[in-house]
Amino acid sequence: MNTFNGRFYSIFIISYYTGFVVLGIALLMVLPILTAVGLQEWNPFWDFIITMAISVILGLLLIIIGKQTRHNKSFVQWKHGFVVASLSWIILMFLCAIPYLLSGHVNSILDACFDVMSGFTTTGMVLTQDLDHISLSLNLWRHMLTFIGGQGMIVLALTFLLKETSGAYIFYVGEAKDIDLVPNVKGTARIIWKISMVYLLIGTAALWIDGMTIGLNPLSAFFNGLFIFASSWSTGGFAPYTQNMMYYHSFSYENLTIIFFILGSLNFGLHHAILSGNKKELLKNIETQSFFISSFLASILAVMWLARTGIYNDAITMFRRVVYNVLSAHTTTGFGSVYARQFALEWGDFGILILVIVMLIGGSACSTAGGFKGLRVGIIFNSILADVKRLLASERNVKVFRFHHIKDQILSDGLVKASALIIICYLITFAIGTLIGTYYGYPLASAAFEAASITGNVGLSIGITTPGMPTVMKIYYIIAMYLGRLEFLSVFALIGFIIGGIKKCWTK
Amino acid sequence: MLDKIIKTFMLTVSLLFCLNGSVLAADVIELNQLVENAEAMDGQSVTVSGEAIGEALERGDHAWVNINDGTNAMGIWMPLDVTQHIKVFGDYKHHGDQLQITGVFNRACAQHGGDVDIHSDSITVLMAGYATDESVPALKIIIGLMLMCLASVLGMIYFKAIKKSAG
Repeated sequence: MNTFNGRFYSIFIISYYTGFVVLGIALLMVLPILTAVGLQEWNPFWDFIITMAISVILGLLLIIIGKQTRHNKSFVQWKHGFVVASLSWIILMFLCAIPYLLSGHVNSILDACFDVMSGFTTTGMVLTQDLDHISLSLNLWRHMLTFIGGQGMIVLALTFLLKETSGAYIFYVGEAKDIDLVPNVKGTARIIWKISMVYLLIGTAALWIDGMTIGLNPLSAFFNGLFIFASSWSTGGFAPYTQNMMYYHSFSYENLTIIFFILGSLNFGLHHAILSGNKKELLKNIETQSFFISSFLASILAVMWLARTGIYNDAITMFRRVVYNVLSAHTTTGFGSVYARQFALEWGDFGILILVIVMLIGGSACSTAGGFKGLRVGIIFNSILADVKRLLASERNVKVFRFHHIKDQILSDGLVKASALIIICYLITFAIGTLIGTYYGYPLASAAFEAASITGNVGLSIGITTPGMPTVMKIYYIIAMYLGRLEFLSVFALIGFIIGGIKKCWTK
Repeated sequence: MLDKIIKTFMLTVSLLFCLNGSVLAADVIELNQLVENAEAMDGQSVTVSGEAIGEALERGDHAWVNINDGTNAMGIWMPLDVTQHIKVFGDYKHHGDQLQITGVFNRACAQHGGDVDIHSDSITVLMAGYATDESVPALKIIIGLMLMCLASVLGMIYFKAIKKSAG
């Protein structure tokens, strides 16, 4: 039965679904609240109670405003999915920043919003101060945000809170995760969360055991294992201590993170294919081919370059300080095994350029990774090869070119155009970030490094991202992280929707 | 005359103390300065001061203790028995022992896979750590309770509205 009246029915639809997303995040706050109770961290306990109550109030208000949508689900269109995704991220950024702000570990609401957006987008840049003294419950929240952001929080909320999800694929695509592992979105979302939860158990257990062998006490080893796994798998890069990976002083711990962040940067479709017995997919897939070729080349070039400086003298040192950071950058994780300033002082322009390139390329599409994705690089590279072959072939010979990604797909002009457009959008965002950095007096290489890290949702820093950096840069970095994660389309849809709404009001 | 000599002597001694004090302060280098000047400081004996954080990571007869001096944090490699003197490590509920460490700074330690670290020669606990007092402001509790009540009321309205629309 159609109960929608008037021209502004879209607002009710968006309000209804956004309300559920907000409510979903509110329910997740139960975990840090329970942790705070268990560890008797009473200030964080009340911080989360306040945040949860505000989120519940806002979520319920939004659902009540849009409650007509319950009887008009057939009206939900693609544009609504994109707007819900992009709007939810903005609302959640403010809500989830409240515990940071109340903790007193951030200078301003802007810094708190920066860190939340950094978590959601799995970037991993930090403006929170004195990490070594923050509560375990707030640390849990930081790592939960990055874990949920990596898997897709819109779809998590909608698939678990709504009974009917026939149209939920719209919201799923809005969050830049357009993959259909099984015919319905609920099944796809559940598979993604099942894969993630299985890895969460295995990963936390592995890091817990290894943590105890490197000297952490059992409880601390558990929390560190949980946090570091959440960050690795979601290619986030957050860590519970100021020193990031350097806190642990452990080769085995670093190796485990490499395994998990590479796995996290691979397409969920690829995980599903391999777990379903199709192991050949790992070698045939255009994304894995692209990732392994580019990581191998980048690692070799970086090792050759840094070998000239004589700072790192043996293979293990080269692996831990050079290859680790290249892989961390390429998978857009952002774990650092050197100090931020060492990139600026020791890596030189060539080393920085290598990292900039791999940070921009990033990991796989429909994974937890950022960047413009290996799939798009593979498609553009194959289209160049196809064009060359077309030039050399006989004019009478019409050939269809294909590539393999989960299944054989035709390399159509539309696909090449779409991939190129997204890559161009990333490059423009990166260029603007570099421009702003240089405007504020940072050296070109440093500004480019930080802009690439932000645009690609990586999280490695060269020392620019600090609480003292200019406000304009903080705001631009928040926007760039947000654009990069949602791959532009949803944000453009939100802007279009707002402009369209204003026009409607104007013409009424 | 004697008065003048005593005055001059006292002035000289007090100046000496002042100078001596400034020399000691300059000897303690900030961790961030070590990172910024890693090439120049590599292999040199340095004195740093900072709060012990986290916990001691035991590795055989040695251990890692990470310290934070407010400018940065760094790992200190020290004999295991020395860590027994560190009673409190900094975390959410504690301010860790304030340590002063003299040791050799490594820009890329060959023994530890390229770590930027300090191999300690001597460690002094400058100030004992302590448990930090956690008091929750009454206003925070009142606001929290009020918001919870409001959320519960709205929850009831929501369920009634949903029931009504479903019926």
